[in-house]
Amino acid sequence: MSINMVKIGVVSCSGEDCLGGTISRLVTRKMLEIRSDATVTICLPLFLAGGVEERGFAEKFPTISVDGCSKACAKRATEKYSGKVSAAIDVSDFIGKEVAEAGALSSRNLTDEHKAMVEKVVGEITTRFDEVLRAAQRDQVAKVAKGLAMVGNGPSGGCGCGCGPK
Amino acid sequence: MSKSFAVLPCNGLDKGAGCISREIALHLIEKSDSEMICPVLYRVADARYTKIAQEKPLLVIDGCQTRCASKLASEKGLKVTAKLTVTEEAKNRGVDLGDSLRLGQNEVKLAEMVADELLLEKEPEKASESETASDSEIVYPETYDYEVYKKDKFIFRVPKEGFLFNENDSWAYISGNKARVGVTDYVQQSLSDIMFFTPPVVGSEVEQFGELGAIESGKAVFEVVSPVSGRITAVNEELSVAPELINQNPYEKGWIVEVELTDLESDKELLLEFEGYFKILKRKVDDFHV
Repeated sequence: MSINMVKIGVVSCSGEDCLGGTISRLVTRKMLEIRSDATVTICLPLFLAGGVEERGFAEKFPTISVDGCSKACAKRATEKYSGKVSAAIDVSDFIGKEVAEAGALSSRNLTDEHKAMVEKVVGEITTRFDEVLRAAQRDQVAKVAKGLAMVGNGPSGGCGCGCGPK
Repeated sequence: MSKSFAVLPCNGLDKGAGCISREIALHLIEKSDSEMICPVLYRVADARYTKIAQEKPLLVIDGCQTRCASKLASEKGLKVTAKLTVTEEAKNRGVDLGDSLRLGQNEVKLAEMVADELLLEKEPEKASESETASDSEIVYPETYDYEVYKKDKFIFRVPKEGFLFNENDSWAYISGNKARVGVTDYVQQSLSDIMFFTPPVVGSEVEQFGELGAIESGKAVFEVVSPVSGRITAVNEELSVAPELINQNPYEKGWIVEVELTDLESDKELLLEFEGYFKILKRKVDDFHV
């Protein structure tokens, strides 16, 4: 059983209330691209609707919440239903509260400034992600030694209908 | 484009369809006075979003058949004015949705088209209302006389007169050049508690044996197979908020759509009257129903 099978769940807020939410969605999507082997995004609306596989994954694997503002919907929901998050990102800490609380935006309307905000947060989350991943891999090694390893089968937590998130 | 909605998209983040639901909602907000309800924040900010949902007609946009947004609307007891599912919209328009969460040209265009149609939709409906003013005079009976077949604790009713059935367990009650259409007791008993109703589009054409929306329970999704061909003139709006009416009585308050008939004589060749369908129902119940 390889330590490369350790996965990290990234839970983004839904992002409809503010620009910070839009950025958090984009950042989460980006993690699928830059840490594709270890990232599993967890669909928060499905998670809250009772998605058994989403919740099960978040209970079993380390998670990182990415929130657009201090309401911290993603962090609170994850901790309410599946346990403590391994790291929590609040986008407003990086782009400023005022900017984060502006209106939600379509990706069609992203400016270079917005893209720079995404990159800035991606930089931070990648650092945190790698720390969480290394810690999880160390745990995995220890658990393998005890025969209690956690294993992810793919890039998806999976929803009830079997189609599965990425 | 003066229409506006309270828009509840699923906002899924794991499939392109969820991202498109968000994109449709954003289009609507850009182009009208519509307001968006965040499905996640709604779970903690009840009062604020409930007010929005009560002030404007509620549009629910699901990305896929998991229907998280519909489930949320149902949990909150909201009155749904319109509902759509992105995967179905894509299918109807021949758009192939890729796996990527990054929206490509096709996905962006689909979102824009759907949003524009939603904002324009009322116009043809109004025209249709005036065209068919005389049709509104059709009064359907509130109750019917039934023959009953019992199996264990289950009761299967079949109305004795005025109805035509297909073997797919749908019925049509003909009145002039229109028909009211629904499913039979066999469907509602087999599905058990019906939780969701996906209506067809009013104004669209349907062929005999074409799909007339879908109903869904915890057990399965049932596509309603039209017994007749024609143009859909009305949908039973009550089912959006109370799909259980189909369980209560699928022939009366649980009817599904009304259709303006285009070829009834030909359709009749493949339909059954009471005697024929009752025999089939009994056989199905004996063979399959547990």
